[in-house]
Amino acid sequence: MTPDVRKVIRWIVTTVLAGIVVAGFVMGDTRPEDRVASLGASIKCPVCQGEAIVDSPSPTAKAMMDVVEEKVAAGETDQQIIAYFQSRFGEGILLDPPFGGRTLLVWILPVLAAGGGVWMILSRRRVPDATQTGSP
Amino acid sequence: MTATIGLLGVLLVVASSLGLIVQGYRAMREPSRATAGHLKRPVGGIVAGSVIAMLALEIGILGDDFSIEYIANNSASTTPLIFKIASAWAALEGSIVLWGLILAVYVYTVYRQVARLGRYDHLGGGALLVLGVICLFFFGLMLTVSNPFRVCVEASTVGCSVGTNLPWAESAAALEGTGPNPLLQNHILMAVHPPMLYLGYVGMAVPFAFAMSALMLGASGTEWLKRTRGWTLVAWGFLTIGIVLGGLWSYEVLGWGGYWAWDPVENASFLPWLTATAFLHSSVVQERRGMLQAWNFVLVIATFALTILGTFLTRSGVIASVHSFTQSAIGPVLLWFLMVVLVASFGLFATRVHVVASSPRLDSLASREGAFLLNNLLLTVFASVVLVGTLYPMFVEAFSGDQVGVGRPFFDRLAIPLSFGLLLAVGIGPVTPYRSARAPVVWERIRMPVQLALGAAALAVVLSYRSPFLLLGILTSTFVVFVILRNLYHSAKKVAQKREVPLPGAVLRTMRNDPGYWGGQISHFGVALLALGIALSANMSVEAEVVLAPGESANVAGYDITYVEQFSRQEPNRFVIGAEVDVSRDGRLISRQEPRLNRYGTSTQSIATPAVDESWSGDMYLSLKSVGPQSVTLGVWWFPFIWLVWVGGLVTGLAVLWSRLVRKPSREPAHAARATSDDT
Repeated sequence: MTPDVRKVIRWIVTTVLAGIVVAGFVMGDTRPEDRVASLGASIKCPVCQGEAIVDSPSPTAKAMMDVVEEKVAAGETDQQIIAYFQSRFGEGILLDPPFGGRTLLVWILPVLAAGGGVWMILSRRRVPDATQTGSP
Repeated sequence: MTATIGLLGVLLVVASSLGLIVQGYRAMREPSRATAGHLKRPVGGIVAGSVIAMLALEIGILGDDFSIEYIANNSASTTPLIFKIASAWAALEGSIVLWGLILAVYVYTVYRQVARLGRYDHLGGGALLVLGVICLFFFGLMLTVSNPFRVCVEASTVGCSVGTNLPWAESAAALEGTGPNPLLQNHILMAVHPPMLYLGYVGMAVPFAFAMSALMLGASGTEWLKRTRGWTLVAWGFLTIGIVLGGLWSYEVLGWGGYWAWDPVENASFLPWLTATAFLHSSVVQERRGMLQAWNFVLVIATFALTILGTFLTRSGVIASVHSFTQSAIGPVLLWFLMVVLVASFGLFATRVHVVASSPRLDSLASREGAFLLNNLLLTVFASVVLVGTLYPMFVEAFSGDQVGVGRPFFDRLAIPLSFGLLLAVGIGPVTPYRSARAPVVWERIRMPVQLALGAAALAVVLSYRSPFLLLGILTSTFVVFVILRNLYHSAKKVAQKREVPLPGAVLRTMRNDPGYWGGQISHFGVALLALGIALSANMSVEAEVVLAPGESANVAGYDITYVEQFSRQEPNRFVIGAEVDVSRDGRLISRQEPRLNRYGTSTQSIATPAVDESWSGDMYLSLKSVGPQSVTLGVWWFPFIWLVWVGGLVTGLAVLWSRLVRKPSREPAHAARATSDDT
């Protein structure tokens, strides 16, 4: 085989593999989405030490998981279920802080840190030719 | 008696620390043979005193001396030997003694280097001065708010109810101690995980001390970095292993079916790891290219401050977890110390930074330096995510009294993309040339790894595993593995051709020629295995909760789980109730497992001990949730390839050994590897 032929075969194989992987992403997960578990992971067990109700063996957490299961079976949305627990136990019950209100800063501060870091790196770069930049 | 000897040891360290501060200051101002000699006595005092304190505590524990409050409340005569030894650091006061002993060992190693360099060593003298201050603080704690040798003056039937700091007080001893916290006498890792973590935490004090010394002296350049590189690497290796063992402990002991929960205490150990990892990388850039001088000071100060913050979080009782046993007076003191450290070190940094740092600019973002910057950016943002997520609920509660929750979903959402970014940088960075990299050169080096990684991910798709996180995890981690292997193969092939030696020998020779670089590559290899293990075990796991009567079976992930019978037994330190469970596949018995519930001493709380059937293809993880007269409830998890997490993590940390122990096979004497004294 000549090097050219080898190169072509290599690219065909690579393209096919990439195609399979892309198809995998497009088709998405084969496992059914476990809404009960993911909701359970975002609600804190009120009587435990910082555990989610899905992880905790305590009776309270178990009872709350049962409620989650019932509500999911009854067709309620994630937001409705979360809102139900929040209204009963307060904001402290949420392990997934909402983007807004009192927990907005939790989301914004890391973004600010990232922005500051990018700015520091870019501002310390040796600019190759100053005349080429500037026009918006 | 034992308590008095222990306290005398602590006093000796306090006095010697004051001596070290004075002599370190003199050695920093005018180093000479005489000042180096004067350092010997205080350093000797610190080492001797801290060994005496530790030994006194251990002897007291082994001899069941319940007239010492700490021992009465954290050990018992029925505690098995290994957990007796470990109970010396199982609670706050004892753990500070271990902290102090490790600090003393580090002080001694620094002194050895300073004594060798002798009369021109301004920098080393200043570093010992700073270490003297840190020693003074921690041993000062042992005399005041965290005294492990408090005498028990009022004993209960079990344990001690009232103690005093006064060693001459009339002592009272209980007949029996309460024993360690049940969670902490359940697994052998309890004896190993804390010392590893402390060796890592405390070791970060050494680069910090040298950095402070360089700032005080206004000494620019890379001497402080080069001299402390060994300590930084070793401390980082210990910290890595300590964190991995902590995860393994959580997996083997807590029985919730996981190893990392973004618990504040886990975060406390992870935070300095992130900044220390950033520092390891950015210090390479400064040594090679003279860049990032100011940034390195920031990272080293941040790392040390985060170790103090971590100690505060775990030991002060601000958060409820297995690590913080009691509310104690040490919290505010540690918080004040943290403030002093931050104000003093950043104050010093701000006044001296113009003297010590004059960095050349970056030529191009597409270069090895650029990759290091990306690494530092990602690690720092990662650290800010963990820091904000950990502290924010505490701040809100402290200022408004309200509770807000920040947990696993928050951390996962931000940490997972950052980790993918880091993995890409880990893959591409080490094969990108310095200064300015041309795309074809880099592409040539990563082309085949990209193709192979695509092949690995395509295989997963064909086997019908299509979770996006799984595919991304496989792509990035196998990419890193293949880049490293290709890089090694090509470098070795060149060596083999040049020296006409067979390839296997050439591989070893290549890796020995540049232990620093290849140590790093081994570590990256470990990181990739770890990432692959996380991706596979998390996304391909199977979870079920089954209720079984005796003789009944359930099928989970292709395995038959059969409940045979219940058992119970009284052991010296605990009452055990458990279930005999057979794990079999296709009618063939694989193993009999005994998931248990343990009840310790006077405690009413049951601690579950999971049973794990381990194999190369994965772990069958059984956790007993409850035992009834007719049936048991079992949590059953199947974690494929989870051993990759432990092996990858240990390889990441142990890779330090390659960098530190392997010496270049060179014709000239190995002076280059030594700490240099050619700065004057």
